[in-house]
This record gives sequence, structure tokens and C-alpha cells, in this order.
Amino acid sequence: MSMNLEESPTTEGEVITNYTINFGPQHPAAHGVLRMVMELDGEVIERIDPHVGLLHRGTEKLIEQKTYLQALPYFDRLDYCSPLCMEHSYVLAIEKLLNLEVPIRAQYLRVMFAELTRICNHMLNMGAHILDVGAFTPNLWIMDLREDCLNFFERASGARMHSAWFRPGGVHQDVPEKLLVDIGDWLDSRFFPLFEDAMSLVLDNRIFKQRNVDIAIVSREDAVAWGFSGPMIRAAGIPWDLRKSQPYDVYDRMEFDIPVGTNSDCYDRFMVRVKEVYESAKIIKQCLRDMPSGPIASTDGKVSPPKRGEMKQSMESLIHHFKLYTEGFHVPAGEVYVATESPKGEFGVYLVSDGTNKPYRCKIRPTAFSHLQAMDFMSRGHMLPDATAILGAIDVVFGECDR
Amino acid sequence: MAVLHSAPKFASNEGVIAAISETISVWLLEAHEEHGEVIFRVARDAVERVLRILRDDHAYQQLMEIAGVDYPSRSERFEVVYMLQSLTKNHRVMVKCSASEDTPVPTVTTLWPNAGWLEREVFDMFGVTFAGNPDLRRILTDYGFEGHPFRKDFPMTGYTELRYSEDEKRVVYEPVELAQEMRSFDFLSPWEGADYPLPGDEKAPAMPTVTEVKTTEKPAQTGAGPKADAKAADPVSPPSPDQKDSGKEKPGAPEPTENRPDRPARKGGAKDTAPATDPEEGGK
Repeated sequence: MSMNLEESPTTEGEVITNYTINFGPQHPAAHGVLRMVMELDGEVIERIDPHVGLLHRGTEKLIEQKTYLQALPYFDRLDYCSPLCMEHSYVLAIEKLLNLEVPIRAQYLRVMFAELTRICNHMLNMGAHILDVGAFTPNLWIMDLREDCLNFFERASGARMHSAWFRPGGVHQDVPEKLLVDIGDWLDSRFFPLFEDAMSLVLDNRIFKQRNVDIAIVSREDAVAWGFSGPMIRAAGIPWDLRKSQPYDVYDRMEFDIPVGTNSDCYDRFMVRVKEVYESAKIIKQCLRDMPSGPIASTDGKVSPPKRGEMKQSMESLIHHFKLYTEGFHVPAGEVYVATESPKGEFGVYLVSDGTNKPYRCKIRPTAFSHLQAMDFMSRGHMLPDATAILGAIDVVFGECDR
Repeated sequence: MAVLHSAPKFASNEGVIAAISETISVWLLEAHEEHGEVIFRVARDAVERVLRILRDDHAYQQLMEIAGVDYPSRSERFEVVYMLQSLTKNHRVMVKCSASEDTPVPTVTTLWPNAGWLEREVFDMFGVTFAGNPDLRRILTDYGFEGHPFRKDFPMTGYTELRYSEDEKRVVYEPVELAQEMRSFDFLSPWEGADYPLPGDEKAPAMPTVTEVKTTEKPAQTGAGPKADAKAADPVSPPSPDQKDSGKEKPGAPEPTENRPDRPARKGGAKDTAPATDPEEGGK
């Protein structure tokens, strides 16, 4: 922390002028590597200049060097708290360019695991938010639930976090029947009691409310103008959810509600996430109920690889397999912008194809960029400790923000 | 074409191009719909005016993204793409303009406050300048970074790398030194897709067009001459030189090489970091 005192507070009658401090880049409440240069008047925030980019890895340039399939795992590493939702935008963008049909079972699986990812993400964010404003226990309790989710991902894809499980045309492999049963059981018997227990500690807690209610109120007009999305725009009272308004995969078959806030403060943002967890659970249950059997990846051999047994028998499958894993598939020239509702908001992929096997340009629209940019305007006039509550309610992850 | 994919479905594009083109026709260069996306290409100087009309008259309230794209072969090499979204009409459009290094694009921070960082990012990554942006600093790259990394002619590895120097007790920048050449695998099929000459073919004249299919059913059709034809008629080929015993000793397997051949020391003098990892010296 650096302090530039122009006048010593010990000199008589002198007024302390504004001073500047560094919040981060190594700060537990910065949710990663965020440096904020704060100008303070006493303990009141006058101005915030967030410096992002400390985790910039040039993902978009790396993707230009890889084939469409090879670029997929980079998406797990963007928002590492909700990896499957990152992949979702990317595979949908490729499918839109290819105009590729995805089998219904694959669509159900993708929606189900995207919602499981949403729960997983919200567990982490809410835990961190609660921790940032001073409560320790709920974080430990709901982190346990997050661990359960990660175990489910492991059973589906083999990896706890960086699943790389979605594929253009479907998913990589089918899930065992037992996994679906276990997810249903987990929701019924374990998830809700534990989650409600943890929330009962927080939701009506006096300190939690004092730290969050009426902090960083954003009007509807401002939320629209600043490009807010996800829980941030819903907390402002705008029922805008891409799963509902621009449905992708089988979201149009799902019945769920969009929770909205009334006061547009940090407490509302938190509550929107709490309610969203219940809606996600609803969607998962509908998926479990309605999921048909059938193929889990496109039957177009030019895009999705053949089964291993098939490959050993059929010459054509062998050629397809070889071509897919060396050259990759070609995507027709053109450009699309595909945005999905990630747990943090609108996560978009602008994909420019020149007709070859590698993307010409892949621009990623991070959710945090617009939200973090509003940090200055949201925190002005609030106290220094409020900054952590505001940051927690934004739900920022730097893998995604800095790319 | 029937829509088969399951990507997000927003409101229909029908009539959108006609309705919007009418109001921005003065600055509109081209408008089309492809892959379900509506794209308007407009004159660079009018970007701010066009977007203002789209926001105020056509209810595209949100600016979701500004993307830069580099096409080095064009005279104005950069493209700046604005993604707009309408919450009330549930529709998306893209507006794009072209720019070069020295032709600034008018800023849209006057319309949307979140354009500030988006424009900063395009400036940082591509070097496109935005006239009127009050705070056009770099955003994602390092403090003091030089160059614009997402240009197609910027090398993947960059120009500098940094490490902690034990001598100077700080992080130092050095030119990039790769232990192994940066590899880029080109899997494009030479028969379809690739439009470059194969290595060795550069000087060959352009391929003549084939009018009739040539087949070689009999040795005479190979065109190798009567001598070769007679040879081909021989029942068995003579033994290869390998099978003849020349009386000389055959070369054995080569000497095993070192696991790690000696590499020249790094120019940057990395040896000064040794104490940090040395159990004897380290931790002091």
C-alpha cells in the first residue's frame, strides 16, 4: 500500500488531502489478479481505476493457430469457475457456421451440464462474496457442494475442472446411467438441505445485510447503457435471460422462471443468484426426466469422429478419424456472433472463418469487461470496505476478463 | 436453407435490413445477411451517427462488444465490428467499418459508457485509434508494452520475455529465446484447400489442364521407351545390391548419443538464478 500524503495529519489545522492506494494485484478480495488504483477521501472512494490484463495470455491469438477442435480446451481456461458454459458458446458458434444438427440427447446433456456448471459457479461466487463481507462458515459449507459438482464432471468427462467435454455436434462421450441417477439423488437428498442450511446463516443475517443492502445501486437505464447482462441486469429488475429470450439447445423446452431484483443493489445480485440455483436445479430435473436415448454426437462423419469399434472395421471411418485428428474439419467462410447465458452473464464468441480448418479470428466477449468497467461508477461515494462487496457481487473471474 | 443448428434463436431477420438501410442509406456501403447474422458495412466517419440512429430510432439499446479483425491484404487492413443488441426487439445486428493505422475511427463513448474499455482493447490489440475517446490507454498488455499483438504480422511468441534476476533483484526483460523452434503444423490437404505451391514446385510451370484420363495398363503405355519395356518383360528382377555379398563389413548401429547434448549458455545469463534453486545456497 502506497500513501501519498501531501500534508502530515499531525500538523495542526491542516486538512488531509485525497490519497491513492493500490488495491491488489495480490489481494484476497480481488478475486484474482486485479489491480485497482483507488483515490480515497478518508475512507470514501472518490475514483477507481481498475487495471486489468495481468492474466492476459493471448488466448484469441493462440486459437488462430489451432484447428477448431484443438482450440476448444482454451475455453475451459477462460472462466475456470464455469468451464462448460464457456465451451457452450464456442461449439454453438461452430455449429451455426456449419449449420450442423445436434442430436436431441446431446442437447439435453449439454443443457443439463451447463446448469450443473451454473450451480457450481454460483457456489463459488456466493461463498467468496460471503467471505469478502466477513462470514467464514457458509463458504466452507457450500464449497462442499461445489466439490460434489466437480465430482460429477469428473465422472462425465474425466476431468474435475477443465472438462473439454462439449464438441461441435454434441458431446465427447455419453454419461453412465448411474451418474444421471446419482445427480437426481444428490439434488433430492443432499443438495437442498445443505444449501438451505448455509443460506439460513446469511440471508437474514444483520451484518450481511448491512454490508450489502443499498450498496452500488444501479438504475435500469444505467444497467442497459453499461452493457450489463446476467444477474447484474436481472438484479436491476429487467427480466433478461438469454436462455429464455434467445433459447439455444433445448432451453425452449424447459420450464423455469427468471428471478429479478427490485432494488438493484449487491444484496439483490446475491439473491438473484440464490434463486437461480433453484431454477437450475429445476432444469436439471426436467433434463433427467425428459432426456431421450440416442446418439450423443452428430452423425455427420465429416465433423464428429467415428466410434472406436467402427474405426477398426470400416475403411471410411478410419479415413474420417485420421482426417479429423490431423487436418480437422473445414468450416464455411463467414462470421457469426453467438452469445449464451453463462453464469456471469452474456458470454459471446465472434468467430470469423475463412473456409479453412483454423479460425481466422475468434473474439471472445467476456462478461466481466463491461461489469468491471462500471466499478468506478458503482463505487463512487461508497466506503473502502464496500469495494469488496461490490466486486464480489459482480462475480468477476480474471481468466475470462483478461483472456 | 433450413436451420438445423441449435444456436441461440432471436427474433426474425426478415425486413430488418430494409428498415434499417432506409434510415442510414447515406453512409451505408453494403448490407447482407449470412449464417443468420445481419451485417451492415458503413463509412468509417459516420460510425457514431449510424450507431446513434440504431440506438435511438431502432431500439438497439446495448453495445455488447467491439471486435477488431486484421486483414493484412486489404488497403485499410483493420475491421472494427460493433455488436448491438435490442432488449425490446430481442434482436442482434453487427455494424462494421474498416480502418488503417492512421485513420482514426470516431468514438462511441458518447453513446455507451462501456465503449471506453472496448475501444481501448481494440487499440491495444490492433493499434486502431479512436478519435474522441478520452482515455485511450493500453488495457490488456503489460505496462510499457510495444507493438500490437493481435495483428497477423505480430509473431506468436512476441519479442520479449521476462524473468526474475537474482543479480538485479527485480524482473528483467530479455529478447525471446526459444529452446525449440516455434512449430506450426499445416494439415491443409495439398489437393483441396491449400492454394500455395508445394515445396519444390515453385518454378514448375502451371499445370496443364487434363482433357483425357491417362491409364497405364501395359508397360508400353508408360512411355519409358522400348528398352524399359523389354526389361519389364523379364520374369524376375535381379537381386538387389544389398543381397550380394561384397565381402565388406556392414555398418553397425551408430554410437549412442548423449541424452542431452550440450547447449550453448543462454545469452541472458540465466546462471545467476542458480542460487535460488540450489539447496546449499538457496533460501539465504
